[in-house]
Amino acid sequence: MKRSMPSVVAVLFFWSALCSAEPAVSVRNFDLKQSPAGDAKAVATVAAGTVVDLVQRQGAWVQLTAGSDTGWTKLFDIKMGTGALAPAAKTSSLSGIAQTLNLATGRRDSSVTTGVRGLDAEMLKKAQPNPQEVTTLLGYASTADQAQAFANVGKLTPRAVELLKAEEPPKGAPAK
Amino acid sequence: MTARVPVRFFLATLALLLPIACATPDGGPMTGKDLAGAVLGDYSIGGINLGAAVGVAKNANEAYREIPQDEEIEIGRSVSAALLGAAPLTVDAVQQNYVNRVGMWLALQSGRPDLPWHFGIIEAPTVNAFATPGGNVFVTRGLVERCGSEAELAGVLAHEIAHVVQKHQLNDIRKNAKQGLMINLASLKSGGLSGDAARAFARVGLEGYVRGLSREDELEADRIGVVIAARAGYEPYGLVMVLQTLQSLGPGDAEMAFFLKTHPSPSDRLAALEVAMPPSFEQLAEPNPALARYAPVFKPTRK
Repeated sequence: MKRSMPSVVAVLFFWSALCSAEPAVSVRNFDLKQSPAGDAKAVATVAAGTVVDLVQRQGAWVQLTAGSDTGWTKLFDIKMGTGALAPAAKTSSLSGIAQTLNLATGRRDSSVTTGVRGLDAEMLKKAQPNPQEVTTLLGYASTADQAQAFANVGKLTPRAVELLKAEEPPKGAPAK
Repeated sequence: MTARVPVRFFLATLALLLPIACATPDGGPMTGKDLAGAVLGDYSIGGINLGAAVGVAKNANEAYREIPQDEEIEIGRSVSAALLGAAPLTVDAVQQNYVNRVGMWLALQSGRPDLPWHFGIIEAPTVNAFATPGGNVFVTRGLVERCGSEAELAGVLAHEIAHVVQKHQLNDIRKNAKQGLMINLASLKSGGLSGDAARAFARVGLEGYVRGLSREDELEADRIGVVIAARAGYEPYGLVMVLQTLQSLGPGDAEMAFFLKTHPSPSDRLAALEVAMPPSFEQLAEPNPALARYAPVFKPTRK
């Protein structure tokens, strides 16, 4: 009996660790690598369509758990979620979720007038200009000096990067 | 003040409309004043007789001019007033200031650092972001809540900044000014808007937001956006991560419906970015512990 308590804690800890992992799906076949580097040793092969758990992200790389294997691959090799199509009926259940979120965060809740549609085409068409909010918007402006100070604290240093060329994805690229 | 801006926006829009004028019944060239008179009659707004006022809009040559920056900024303020009429700003000043710092730092590395840039989180649970001509950028609370880091937020803001730099919305408004203005004038003349001209003028711009920009404009803003973020010192994959998150929400999600109607699918955009982003970008993606400052302010649900 006395030994049950630590095991409950262990189970809870394990459970929370499981919950914090984000599900993802592989979009192509790839090698899971030992470290986030192109020349790192492959530890396993993952087939397209495998449900994996995202452990962490590091720049262009993600660390995954696939079955009993853990390793690294490129960010573009996966997509988040389980790949299950969201049911169309989700629309109705979302109202509850959205309202719960608003309540839980204590933010100003505009759903009183807008429902869960949020900002959509109908609302834009019906919108009455609100110049007072523009004044508020202007009041939040950052000066260049404030932005520079913010960048300094964030260790953000400007660097030269070339513009990217427009290229269509090759035919047969993963489109969906 | 509130009347002056829309009227000037209206005049700028009308000037764009003028080159479609062809000829008067007697064969002589139709002037801007003729056209305006035909369309507007003696319609008056705020004591200004528009039919007469647009006579100042001179000739067809002027209609083809580039819109000067001060007019672009005024158009942007009118469109912003309309957008904020649809959904106001959130009341969290700490988050609003944070977004303005990130946004201004990005804009300083863009092709138009000198615009009066403004950034705002708008109160909507849906996922979306908007930019207006002249440097106003809006992101919904629903999208901010799905950004897991400052680099992801920067990826979103940089995409919108790219739209402004490339004048995507401004060109869209110019292109559609003719049609939009005719519709609005019909409403005005029928008395449906009871003289509140501001609504009608801003709507010329808002129609573009209902329709969305072209796929080409969106993909270009993605490509330029990741470069702006990288130039500002952020790792360039922030936008990629946001698009992956949105992709996982899927088309059945009500909070994504309007976004998906007005943008190419996240999968489409990710495929284009994967091709466009060179392997060398991986060298720009070193971890930056200083950006841990994001979490206490925005409390993201994931890392």
